[in-house]
Amino acid sequence: MRGRGALLLLGAIAALAAAELALPELLNRYYLTILVRILVAVLAATSLQLVNGFTGQFSIGHAGFMAVGAYVSAAFSVYLGAGWLEALQGVLPAGLARLAYFPLPLLAGGLAASLAGLAVGVPSLRLRGDYLAIATLGFGEIIRIAILNIDAVGGARGFSLSAPAGVDLRYEGIGEIGAVVALSMFVMARLVYASGGLAFRAVREDETAAEAMGIPTTRVKVEAFVVASFFAGVAGALFAHAEGYVHTNSFGFVRSFEIVVFVVLGGLGSFTGAALAAAVLTAAPELLRGLGEWRMILYSILIIVTMILRPQGLMGSRELSLRWLRRRPAAVAGGAA
Amino acid sequence: MSAHDLLVLEDVTVRFGGLTAVSHLNLRVGAQDLVALIGPNGAGKTTAFNVITGVYAPTSGRVALDGVEIGGWRPSRICRRGVARTFQNIRLFRGLTALENVQAALSGAHRSGLRDVLRGPAWHRHEVAHAESARGLLARLGLERFADARADALPYGEQRRLEIARALATGPKLLLLDEPAAGMNPSEKEALRGFVARVRGEFGIAIVLIDHDIPFVMNLCDRVAVLDHGEKIAEGAPEAVRRDPKVIEAYLGADGEAAQAPEGRAQRGEAERSS
Repeated sequence: MRGRGALLLLGAIAALAAAELALPELLNRYYLTILVRILVAVLAATSLQLVNGFTGQFSIGHAGFMAVGAYVSAAFSVYLGAGWLEALQGVLPAGLARLAYFPLPLLAGGLAASLAGLAVGVPSLRLRGDYLAIATLGFGEIIRIAILNIDAVGGARGFSLSAPAGVDLRYEGIGEIGAVVALSMFVMARLVYASGGLAFRAVREDETAAEAMGIPTTRVKVEAFVVASFFAGVAGALFAHAEGYVHTNSFGFVRSFEIVVFVVLGGLGSFTGAALAAAVLTAAPELLRGLGEWRMILYSILIIVTMILRPQGLMGSRELSLRWLRRRPAAVAGGAA
Repeated sequence: MSAHDLLVLEDVTVRFGGLTAVSHLNLRVGAQDLVALIGPNGAGKTTAFNVITGVYAPTSGRVALDGVEIGGWRPSRICRRGVARTFQNIRLFRGLTALENVQAALSGAHRSGLRDVLRGPAWHRHEVAHAESARGLLARLGLERFADARADALPYGEQRRLEIARALATGPKLLLLDEPAAGMNPSEKEALRGFVARVRGEFGIAIVLIDHDIPFVMNLCDRVAVLDHGEKIAEGAPEAVRRDPKVIEAYLGADGEAAQAPEGRAQRGEAERSS
């Protein structure tokens, strides 16, 4: 068991390193940018899955927490981090210095977003169903509009991650971004798929019964919300550092709604389903670009047809895992298509 | 009734706006008592349960468990203190397996954190022990063959049993069963009677159960309390309560036979068999 785990880990690291080195050679910048956006979408979708799919709360303000992560990490890098990175580059080789620095803004963004999640979650998670959806939608907009009015991060002009000469705050390494997304998914999956994580699913199945069985439902919901906000913040931070520029337009209601679509289409209660849907639906508009104005119509039809054919989502509540691949080789072809 | 009562309701009133659902209710339940709470529809039986388990706070009066006032506490806190319940319209965690239903209720199950992420040897030991005690509980209640089936795929009677198993998993001193016999046919009811008696004996806990049906509780309970319009109109040994004119009147009007009291809303909740 342990040996296999270590082997898997090594394999994953090797694969990510290979991706980091080989992909920039194989793909042009356009595809690399899309790849980064897919990874960001995957993290946003899987983190929302924790709240909507596993804990059964309907939150539709997730982009607001991405915005907090993106802006706080960007401000962190511009106002503090640039100096630290410069100092690091003085003692370490440039590549290594950047690798050592990179996690810091992500953590800053994640922590700030989780605090925002706590502030939003404590009052609004007392609400159920439709009311919670409306409250989270409102909070998402409040966060966005508040940022829009902060001059230190550019206000309506957006915020560039500009830095002194010799320091580059942009970070597009596919390997590292992939590693962050994979690690985040791993952490969330381990939280949910354990006896302690049953509390999340118990709340989803029946909140009244869960409370009556000794599960402190409010705390469990807030926990899920805070963890999900943290990883949404990390996703926002990844996005900000990969693009090198952030604007509140990227985190509006439409973005929140997209993330909900990823979660529902992937299957409520499946991290890998949400990841799959996020990847497909982020790539689809780009792949359909050749169709000109028919593009968004086809995109919408794709969503409608999927919902008709697979109302439970691509993966239902199952996970695509190595074990599953081995046990049910026949079902995989359909599931991964 | 021992000097040291497990549960004490003193002058408990629950009012919703102008409606008084429970009025000046006094009830004492000793450790290992088996008490039935009966009464016609709308008599306030489930409201009494809800006030004991913290779903509602009493408008006035006192609810005490083991001498500690619990009125107005959150349900989860009251549960951890030792009161577990089932629901009139079964409320299992439908999408989880029978085993997971029990596991989710096992005390201390609702802690997740860093150790779930790191998963050291102690975590693995805990996880195995946790699953084993859940399996053990299912086996004690004769449900082990359903362990890995989804809760909503179980036959109706077994769903009722699983709900009791889940309640027992919380380690209660007092178990409240809200119409456990609802929707059962006579032979299922008979089996349930044996089951309830066995649970009390084996787990050494007090049980209060709600039913409409006097014959059902007749040979099962030590004591019967009868509610009507939110008030307790009688309490005592089943045989005495059955002949109480006030009880007969509550059930059938001025003249009638309490033993033919309504069977209850015997609509059988069809157990959905989704795969």
